Amino acid sequence: MDNILLKISDLHAEVAGKEILKGVSLTIGKGEVHAVMGPNGAGKSTLSAVLTGKPGYKVTSGEIEFMGRNLLEMSAEERAWAGIFLSFQYPIEIPGVSITNFMKAAVNACRKARGEKELTPSEFLRLMKEKMAFVKMKGEFAKREVNVGFSGGEKKRNEIFQMAMLEPVMAILDETDSGLDVDALKIVSDGVNALRSPDRSAIIITHYKKLLEYVVPDMVHILKDGRIVLTGGRELIDRIETGGFEGIE
Amino acid sequence: MKHLYLIGRDEIPSDIVLTSQEEHQLILLALPGVSADVPVNIRLAGEGAVIDVFGLYLNFGKERVSFRVNLRHESGHCRSRQLFKGIVGAEAQVEFDGLIYVAKGAQKTSAFQENHSILLSDRALVQTRPQLEIYADDVECSHGATIGKLSEDELFYMRSRGIPEKEARALQMRSFISAVVERIEDEQIRQMIYDKLSQCQA
Repeated sequence: MDNILLKISDLHAEVAGKEILKGVSLTIGKGEVHAVMGPNGAGKSTLSAVLTGKPGYKVTSGEIEFMGRNLLEMSAEERAWAGIFLSFQYPIEIPGVSITNFMKAAVNACRKARGEKELTPSEFLRLMKEKMAFVKMKGEFAKREVNVGFSGGEKKRNEIFQMAMLEPVMAILDETDSGLDVDALKIVSDGVNALRSPDRSAIIITHYKKLLEYVVPDMVHILKDGRIVLTGGRELIDRIETGGFEGIE
Repeated sequence: MKHLYLIGRDEIPSDIVLTSQEEHQLILLALPGVSADVPVNIRLAGEGAVIDVFGLYLNFGKERVSFRVNLRHESGHCRSRQLFKGIVGAEAQVEFDGLIYVAKGAQKTSAFQENHSILLSDRALVQTRPQLEIYADDVECSHGATIGKLSEDELFYMRSRGIPEKEARALQMRSFISAVVERIEDEQIRQMIYDKLSQCQA
Protein backbone atom coordinates (compact mmCIF):
# COMPACT_ATOMS: atom_id res chain seq x y z
CA MET A 1 0.00 0.00 0.00
CA ASP A 2 1.58 3.30 -0.95
CA ASN A 3 -0.78 5.23 1.25
CA ILE A 4 1.31 4.27 4.27
CA LEU A 5 3.61 6.95 5.62
CA LEU A 6 4.90 5.36 8.80
CA LYS A 7 4.84 1.75 9.81
CA ILE A 8 6.07 0.65 13.23
CA SER A 9 6.24 -3.13 13.65
CA ASP A 10 6.68 -4.91 16.96
CA LEU A 11 9.03 -2.28 18.28
CA HIS A 12 10.99 -3.04 21.43
CA ALA A 13 13.23 -0.37 22.92
CA GLU A 14 15.15 0.13 26.11
CA VAL A 15 16.68 2.99 28.03
CA ALA A 16 19.60 2.34 30.36
CA GLY A 17 19.01 -1.40 30.11
CA LYS A 18 15.33 -1.18 31.00
CA GLU A 19 12.77 -2.22 28.41
CA ILE A 20 10.23 0.56 27.92
CA LEU A 21 8.59 -0.30 24.60
CA LYS A 22 7.48 -3.92 24.58
CA GLY A 23 6.14 -4.52 21.11
CA VAL A 24 4.55 -1.40 19.65
CA SER A 25 2.89 -1.71 16.26
CA LEU A 26 1.37 1.33 14.62
CA THR A 27 0.61 2.27 11.04
CA ILE A 28 -0.06 5.82 9.97
CA GLY A 29 -1.42 6.65 6.57
CA LYS A 30 -0.80 9.81 4.60
CA GLY A 31 -2.97 12.68 5.72
CA GLU A 32 -3.92 11.06 9.01
CA VAL A 33 -3.73 12.46 12.52
CA HIS A 34 -3.27 9.88 15.25
CA ALA A 35 -3.53 10.51 18.94
CA VAL A 36 -1.46 8.46 21.38
CA MET A 37 -2.77 8.61 24.92
CA GLY A 38 -1.65 6.82 28.00
CA PRO A 39 -0.70 7.16 31.64
CA ASN A 40 2.69 8.42 32.86
CA GLY A 41 5.47 5.94 32.24
CA ALA A 42 3.60 4.14 29.46
CA GLY A 43 6.41 4.83 26.99
CA LYS A 44 4.93 7.77 25.08
CA SER A 45 8.04 9.91 25.21
CA THR A 46 10.27 6.91 24.50
CA LEU A 47 8.26 6.33 21.34
CA SER A 48 8.86 9.90 20.17
CA ALA A 49 12.54 9.67 21.11
CA VAL A 50 12.99 6.47 19.12
CA LEU A 51 11.16 7.95 16.13
CA THR A 52 13.48 10.95 16.08
CA GLY A 53 16.72 9.10 16.78
CA LYS A 54 17.57 10.47 20.20
CA PRO A 55 20.84 9.02 21.53
CA GLY A 56 20.52 6.80 24.58
CA TYR A 57 17.51 4.85 23.33
CA LYS A 58 18.26 1.36 22.11
CA VAL A 59 15.94 -0.48 19.77
CA THR A 60 16.34 -4.17 20.58
CA SER A 61 13.93 -5.53 17.97
CA GLY A 62 11.25 -4.48 15.55
CA GLU A 63 11.18 -2.17 12.57
CA ILE A 64 10.19 1.34 11.62
CA GLU A 65 9.55 2.15 8.00
CA PHE A 66 9.07 5.75 6.95
CA MET A 67 8.11 6.46 3.33
CA GLY A 68 9.52 3.08 2.45
CA ARG A 69 12.88 3.73 4.14
CA ASN A 70 14.34 2.03 7.18
CA LEU A 71 14.08 4.84 9.71
CA LEU A 72 16.28 3.13 12.28
CA GLU A 73 19.27 3.38 9.97
CA MET A 74 18.91 7.12 9.60
CA SER A 75 20.63 9.75 11.76
CA ALA A 76 18.59 12.38 13.60
CA GLU A 77 19.31 14.99 10.93
CA GLU A 78 18.49 12.60 8.08
CA ARG A 79 15.10 12.02 9.67
CA ALA A 80 14.52 15.77 9.78
CA TRP A 81 15.49 16.03 6.10
CA ALA A 82 13.01 13.28 5.29
CA GLY A 83 10.30 15.36 6.96
CA ILE A 84 10.04 14.16 10.54
CA PHE A 85 9.57 16.81 13.20
CA LEU A 86 9.27 16.49 16.95
CA SER A 87 7.72 19.18 19.06
CA PHE A 88 9.70 18.63 22.26
CA GLN A 89 7.94 18.11 25.55
CA TYR A 90 10.77 20.07 27.16
CA PRO A 91 12.29 22.36 24.52
CA ILE A 92 16.04 22.87 24.91
CA GLU A 93 17.67 26.22 25.58
CA ILE A 94 20.60 27.16 23.38
CA PRO A 95 22.37 30.17 24.89
CA GLY A 96 24.24 32.31 22.39
CA VAL A 97 22.34 31.11 19.32
CA SER A 98 19.57 33.36 18.02
CA ILE A 99 16.29 32.01 16.68
CA THR A 100 17.19 33.53 13.32
CA ASN A 101 20.56 31.80 13.07
CA PHE A 102 19.15 28.55 14.37
CA MET A 103 16.29 28.49 11.89
CA LYS A 104 18.43 29.66 8.99
CA ALA A 105 20.80 26.75 9.58
CA ALA A 106 17.89 24.32 9.92
CA VAL A 107 15.84 25.46 6.93
CA ASN A 108 18.81 25.64 4.61
CA ALA A 109 20.26 22.30 5.73
CA CYS A 110 16.91 20.65 5.01
CA ARG A 111 16.61 22.37 1.63
CA LYS A 112 20.16 21.42 0.69
CA ALA A 113 19.59 17.80 1.66
CA ARG A 114 16.49 17.72 -0.53
CA GLY A 115 18.33 19.17 -3.50
CA GLU A 116 16.64 22.56 -3.23
CA LYS A 117 18.36 25.92 -3.39
CA GLU A 118 19.10 27.67 -0.11
CA LEU A 119 16.85 30.63 0.63
CA THR A 120 18.28 34.08 0.00
CA PRO A 121 18.45 36.31 3.11
CA SER A 122 15.37 38.24 2.00
CA GLU A 123 13.38 35.11 1.19
CA PHE A 124 14.31 33.73 4.57
CA LEU A 125 13.27 36.89 6.42
CA ARG A 126 9.94 36.93 4.62
CA LEU A 127 9.31 33.33 5.67
CA MET A 128 10.31 34.12 9.28
CA LYS A 129 7.93 37.09 9.43
CA GLU A 130 5.05 35.11 8.01
CA LYS A 131 5.46 32.21 10.44
CA MET A 132 6.12 34.47 13.42
CA ALA A 133 2.85 36.28 12.76
CA PHE A 134 1.20 32.89 12.56
CA VAL A 135 2.25 31.97 16.12
CA LYS A 136 1.76 35.56 17.30
CA MET A 137 5.41 36.20 18.13
CA LYS A 138 6.64 39.81 18.08
CA GLY A 139 9.55 41.01 15.95
CA GLU A 140 12.11 40.87 18.77
CA PHE A 141 11.52 37.10 18.96
CA ALA A 142 13.80 36.55 15.97
CA LYS A 143 16.77 37.96 17.86
CA ARG A 144 16.22 36.10 21.10
CA GLU A 145 18.43 33.19 22.06
CA VAL A 146 16.69 29.88 21.43
CA ASN A 147 14.30 29.25 24.33
CA VAL A 148 16.48 31.17 26.80
CA GLY A 149 14.27 32.96 29.30
CA PHE A 150 11.11 31.84 27.48
CA SER A 151 7.99 31.12 29.48
CA GLY A 152 6.49 27.64 29.19
CA GLY A 153 3.90 28.87 26.72
CA GLU A 154 6.50 30.72 24.63
CA LYS A 155 8.63 27.59 24.39
CA LYS A 156 5.70 25.60 23.03
CA ARG A 157 4.81 28.37 20.58
CA ASN A 158 8.43 28.35 19.48
CA GLU A 159 8.12 24.63 18.75
CA ILE A 160 5.05 25.29 16.63
CA PHE A 161 6.86 28.15 14.93
CA GLN A 162 9.71 25.81 14.00
CA MET A 163 7.23 23.25 12.76
CA ALA A 164 5.59 25.89 10.57
CA MET A 165 9.01 26.89 9.22
CA LEU A 166 10.05 23.33 8.41
CA GLU A 167 6.67 22.06 7.14
CA PRO A 168 7.23 18.44 8.13
CA VAL A 169 5.59 15.45 6.50
CA MET A 170 5.24 13.76 9.86
CA ALA A 171 4.85 15.97 12.93
CA ILE A 172 5.08 14.42 16.37
CA LEU A 173 3.74 16.55 19.20
CA ASP A 174 4.97 15.28 22.53
CA GLU A 175 2.65 16.75 25.15
CA THR A 176 2.79 20.11 23.43
CA ASP A 177 -0.49 20.98 25.13
CA SER A 178 0.60 20.48 28.75
CA GLY A 179 0.59 23.66 30.75
CA LEU A 180 -0.85 25.82 27.99
CA ASP A 181 -3.61 28.34 28.47
CA VAL A 182 -6.51 28.45 26.03
CA ASP A 183 -4.94 31.09 23.78
CA ALA A 184 -1.68 29.21 23.42
CA LEU A 185 -3.58 25.98 22.88
CA LYS A 186 -5.44 27.68 20.04
CA ILE A 187 -2.13 28.73 18.45
CA VAL A 188 -0.79 25.19 18.72
CA SER A 189 -3.91 23.65 17.24
CA ASP A 190 -4.07 26.23 14.44
CA GLY A 191 -0.45 25.34 13.68
CA VAL A 192 -1.20 21.67 13.39
CA ASN A 193 -4.42 22.17 11.45
CA ALA A 194 -2.71 24.50 8.99
CA LEU A 195 -0.32 21.71 8.08
CA ARG A 196 -3.06 19.18 7.54
CA SER A 197 -3.07 17.97 3.96
CA PRO A 198 -3.50 14.69 2.12
CA ASP A 199 0.30 14.22 2.25
CA ARG A 200 1.06 15.20 5.84
CA SER A 201 0.41 13.30 9.01
CA ALA A 202 0.75 13.88 12.71
CA ILE A 203 1.06 11.97 15.94
CA ILE A 204 -0.30 13.82 18.94
CA ILE A 205 0.90 12.47 22.26
CA THR A 206 -1.22 13.80 25.06
CA HIS A 207 -2.80 13.22 28.44
CA TYR A 208 -5.72 15.49 27.84
CA LYS A 209 -8.68 15.70 25.57
CA LYS A 210 -8.56 19.48 25.18
CA LEU A 211 -6.13 19.64 22.25
CA LEU A 212 -7.98 16.81 20.54
CA GLU A 213 -11.12 18.93 20.49
CA TYR A 214 -9.31 21.42 18.27
CA VAL A 215 -7.26 18.94 16.26
CA VAL A 216 -9.62 16.07 15.67
CA PRO A 217 -7.71 12.81 15.26
CA ASP A 218 -8.60 10.08 12.80
CA MET A 219 -7.44 7.38 15.18
CA VAL A 220 -6.76 7.12 18.88
CA HIS A 221 -4.29 4.67 20.45
CA ILE A 222 -3.94 3.86 24.09
CA LEU A 223 -0.36 3.11 25.11
CA LYS A 224 0.06 1.31 28.38
CA ASP A 225 3.12 -0.39 29.82
CA GLY A 226 4.97 -0.26 26.51
CA ARG A 227 2.21 -1.63 24.32
CA ILE A 228 -0.71 -0.26 22.39
CA VAL A 229 -3.56 -1.90 24.21
CA LEU A 230 -6.47 -0.33 22.39
CA THR A 231 -7.03 1.45 19.08
CA GLY A 232 -10.19 3.14 18.01
CA GLY A 233 -11.83 6.29 16.78
CA ARG A 234 -12.37 9.53 18.63
CA GLU A 235 -15.01 7.95 20.85
CA LEU A 236 -12.07 6.55 22.85
CA ILE A 237 -11.18 10.06 23.99
CA ASP A 238 -14.42 10.41 25.93
CA ARG A 239 -14.03 6.99 27.41
CA ILE A 240 -10.61 7.96 28.76
CA GLU A 241 -11.87 11.32 29.96
CA THR A 242 -14.57 9.72 32.09
CA GLY A 243 -13.03 6.41 33.05
CA GLY A 244 -9.29 7.10 32.94
CA PHE A 245 -6.76 4.50 31.80
CA GLU A 246 -7.66 2.04 34.54
CA GLY A 247 -9.41 -1.01 33.25
CA ILE A 248 -8.14 -0.69 29.69
CA GLU A 249 -6.06 -3.75 28.97
CA MET B 1 44.76 51.52 22.71
CA LYS B 2 43.74 48.19 21.32
CA HIS B 3 46.15 45.38 20.56
CA LEU B 4 45.52 41.98 19.08
CA TYR B 5 48.20 39.33 19.17
CA LEU B 6 48.14 36.08 17.26
CA ILE B 7 50.23 33.83 19.41
CA GLY B 8 52.98 32.22 17.38
CA ARG B 9 52.92 35.05 14.84
CA ASP B 10 53.15 38.22 16.90
CA GLU B 11 55.56 38.96 19.67
CA ILE B 12 53.82 39.87 22.88
CA PRO B 13 55.62 42.58 24.86
CA SER B 14 57.17 41.15 27.96
CA ASP B 15 55.91 43.97 30.16
CA ILE B 16 52.91 46.16 29.68
CA VAL B 17 52.87 49.19 31.92
CA LEU B 18 49.92 51.53 32.06
CA THR B 19 50.32 55.01 33.42
CA SER B 20 47.66 57.23 34.94
CA GLN B 21 44.28 57.15 33.15
CA GLU B 22 45.64 55.00 30.32
CA GLU B 23 43.20 52.51 28.82
CA HIS B 24 44.27 49.38 27.00
CA GLN B 25 42.56 46.41 25.47
CA LEU B 26 44.54 43.29 24.81
CA ILE B 27 43.33 40.33 22.78
CA LEU B 28 45.38 37.13 22.74
CA LEU B 29 44.55 34.39 20.29
CA ALA B 30 45.96 30.87 20.35
CA LEU B 31 44.63 29.21 17.20
CA PRO B 32 44.85 25.52 16.25
CA GLY B 33 48.34 24.21 15.66
CA VAL B 34 50.10 26.69 17.93
CA SER B 35 51.98 25.62 21.04
CA ALA B 36 53.32 28.38 23.19
CA ASP B 37 54.23 29.64 26.58
CA VAL B 38 52.49 32.98 26.94
CA PRO B 39 53.61 35.21 29.79
CA VAL B 40 51.40 38.26 30.23
CA ASN B 41 52.83 40.79 32.63
CA ILE B 42 50.75 43.86 33.19
CA ARG B 43 51.33 46.65 35.66
CA LEU B 44 48.71 49.22 36.37
CA ALA B 45 51.20 51.76 37.62
CA GLY B 46 49.25 55.00 37.47
CA GLU B 47 45.96 55.95 39.08
CA GLY B 48 42.80 55.21 37.15
CA ALA B 49 44.37 52.96 34.51
CA VAL B 50 42.07 50.47 32.81
CA ILE B 51 42.92 47.17 31.10
CA ASP B 52 40.73 44.61 29.40
CA VAL B 53 42.37 41.31 28.53
CA PHE B 54 40.58 38.84 26.29
CA GLY B 55 42.08 35.46 25.59
CA LEU B 56 40.92 32.75 23.20
CA TYR B 57 42.41 29.31 22.71
CA LEU B 58 41.30 26.75 20.17
CA ASN B 59 43.46 23.67 20.30
CA PHE B 60 42.34 20.51 18.61
CA GLY B 61 45.54 18.52 18.25
CA LYS B 62 48.55 17.98 20.50
CA GLU B 63 49.26 21.60 21.29
CA ARG B 64 50.55 22.79 24.65
CA VAL B 65 49.53 26.30 25.54
CA SER B 66 50.30 27.98 28.80
CA PHE B 67 49.01 31.40 29.76
CA ARG B 68 50.74 32.94 32.73
CA VAL B 69 49.04 36.15 33.66
CA ASN B 70 50.55 38.40 36.27
CA LEU B 71 48.34 41.42 36.57
CA ARG B 72 49.46 43.94 39.16
CA HIS B 73 47.36 46.74 40.52
CA GLU B 74 49.99 49.10 41.89
CA SER B 75 47.90 52.26 42.11
CA GLY B 76 44.41 53.09 43.25
CA HIS B 77 41.24 53.47 41.19
CA CYS B 78 42.42 51.11 38.47
CA ARG B 79 40.16 48.62 36.74
CA SER B 80 41.09 45.29 35.17
CA ARG B 81 38.94 42.71 33.47
CA GLN B 82 40.11 39.38 32.10
CA LEU B 83 38.09 36.93 30.07
CA PHE B 84 39.80 33.80 28.77
CA LYS B 85 37.73 31.27 26.88
CA GLY B 86 38.73 28.24 24.90
CA ILE B 87 37.91 24.92 23.37
CA VAL B 88 40.36 22.09 23.76
CA GLY B 89 40.15 18.78 21.98
CA ALA B 90 42.12 15.65 21.01
CA GLU B 91 45.26 15.58 23.15
CA ALA B 92 45.80 19.28 23.54
CA GLN B 93 46.69 20.74 26.91
CA VAL B 94 46.08 24.24 28.11
CA GLU B 95 47.19 25.83 31.33
CA PHE B 96 45.93 29.07 32.72
CA ASP B 97 47.73 30.66 35.63
CA GLY B 98 46.16 33.93 36.52
CA LEU B 99 47.44 36.07 39.31
CA ILE B 100 45.79 39.29 40.31
CA TYR B 101 48.00 41.23 42.71
CA VAL B 102 46.66 44.27 44.50
CA ALA B 103 49.35 46.29 46.25
CA LYS B 104 48.91 47.88 49.62
CA GLY B 105 47.46 51.30 49.00
CA ALA B 106 45.88 50.42 45.65
CA GLN B 107 42.48 51.29 47.05
CA LYS B 108 39.29 51.33 44.97
CA THR B 109 40.72 48.63 42.76
CA SER B 110 38.29 46.72 40.66
CA ALA B 111 39.60 43.45 39.22
CA PHE B 112 37.72 40.62 37.54
CA GLN B 113 38.95 37.45 35.98
CA GLU B 114 37.12 34.62 34.27
CA ASN B 115 38.38 31.50 32.56
CA HIS B 116 35.97 29.12 30.87
CA SER B 117 36.83 26.04 28.86
CA ILE B 118 35.12 23.35 26.87
CA LEU B 119 36.74 19.95 26.57
CA LEU B 120 35.98 17.98 23.41
CA SER B 121 37.75 14.77 24.31
CA ASP B 122 38.66 12.68 27.31
CA ARG B 123 42.34 13.11 26.61
CA ALA B 124 42.28 16.89 26.37
CA LEU B 125 43.38 18.71 29.48
CA VAL B 126 42.79 22.14 30.95
CA GLN B 127 44.33 23.30 34.18
CA THR B 128 43.20 26.58 35.57
CA ARG B 129 44.72 28.30 38.56
CA PRO B 130 43.20 31.66 39.39
CA GLN B 131 44.92 33.43 42.25
CA LEU B 132 44.21 36.60 44.13
CA GLU B 133 46.80 38.33 46.25
CA ILE B 134 45.32 41.38 47.89
CA TYR B 135 46.98 43.81 50.26
CA ALA B 136 44.51 46.69 50.08
CA ASP B 137 41.25 46.69 51.96
CA ASP B 138 38.88 48.70 49.80
CA VAL B 139 38.76 46.64 46.62
CA GLU B 140 36.32 44.76 44.45
CA CYS B 141 37.83 41.56 43.09
CA SER B 142 36.45 38.33 41.76
CA HIS B 143 37.48 35.33 39.73
CA GLY B 144 35.66 32.38 38.28
CA ALA B 145 36.56 29.32 36.29
CA THR B 146 34.56 26.54 34.67
CA ILE B 147 35.45 23.52 32.56
CA GLY B 148 32.65 21.70 30.76
CA LYS B 149 31.52 19.86 27.69
CA LEU B 150 29.26 20.76 24.79
CA SER B 151 25.68 19.94 25.69
CA GLU B 152 24.36 16.75 24.14
CA ASP B 153 20.77 17.96 24.59
CA GLU B 154 21.48 21.06 22.55
CA LEU B 155 23.17 18.95 19.93
CA PHE B 156 20.22 16.60 19.55
CA TYR B 157 17.77 19.50 19.45
CA MET B 158 19.66 21.05 16.56
CA ARG B 159 20.06 17.76 14.70
CA SER B 160 16.35 17.05 15.11
CA ARG B 161 15.77 20.27 13.14
CA GLY B 162 18.03 19.04 10.35
CA ILE B 163 21.26 20.81 11.26
CA PRO B 164 24.09 18.34 10.52
CA GLU B 165 26.08 17.25 13.56
CA LYS B 166 29.28 18.99 12.52
CA GLU B 167 27.50 22.26 11.82
CA ALA B 168 25.57 22.00 15.08
CA ARG B 169 28.81 21.56 17.02
CA ALA B 170 30.32 24.54 15.21
CA LEU B 171 27.28 26.63 16.19
CA GLN B 172 27.65 25.55 19.81
CA MET B 173 31.36 26.38 19.82
CA ARG B 174 30.72 29.69 18.11
CA SER B 175 28.25 30.72 20.76
CA PHE B 176 30.60 29.61 23.53
CA ILE B 177 33.43 31.88 22.37
CA SER B 178 31.26 34.75 21.13
CA ALA B 179 31.98 36.96 24.15
CA VAL B 180 35.64 37.06 23.10
CA VAL B 181 35.18 36.97 19.33
CA GLU B 182 32.84 39.94 19.29
CA ARG B 183 35.71 42.07 20.63
CA ILE B 184 37.77 41.38 17.53
CA GLU B 185 37.33 44.18 15.05
CA ASP B 186 39.20 42.51 12.18
CA GLU B 187 36.53 40.75 10.13
CA GLN B 188 39.13 38.48 8.47
CA ILE B 189 40.34 37.17 11.81
CA ARG B 190 36.79 36.55 13.01
CA GLN B 191 36.10 34.62 9.82
CA MET B 192 39.32 32.66 10.24
CA ILE B 193 38.21 31.63 13.74
CA TYR B 194 34.81 30.50 12.48
CA ASP B 195 36.49 28.52 9.69
CA LYS B 196 38.70 26.77 12.23
CA LEU B 197 35.60 25.77 14.19
CA SER B 198 33.90 24.38 11.10
CA GLN B 199 37.00 22.36 10.29
CA CYS B 200 37.36 21.04 13.80
CA GLN B 201 37.50 17.25 13.79
CA ALA B 202 38.30 16.85 17.45
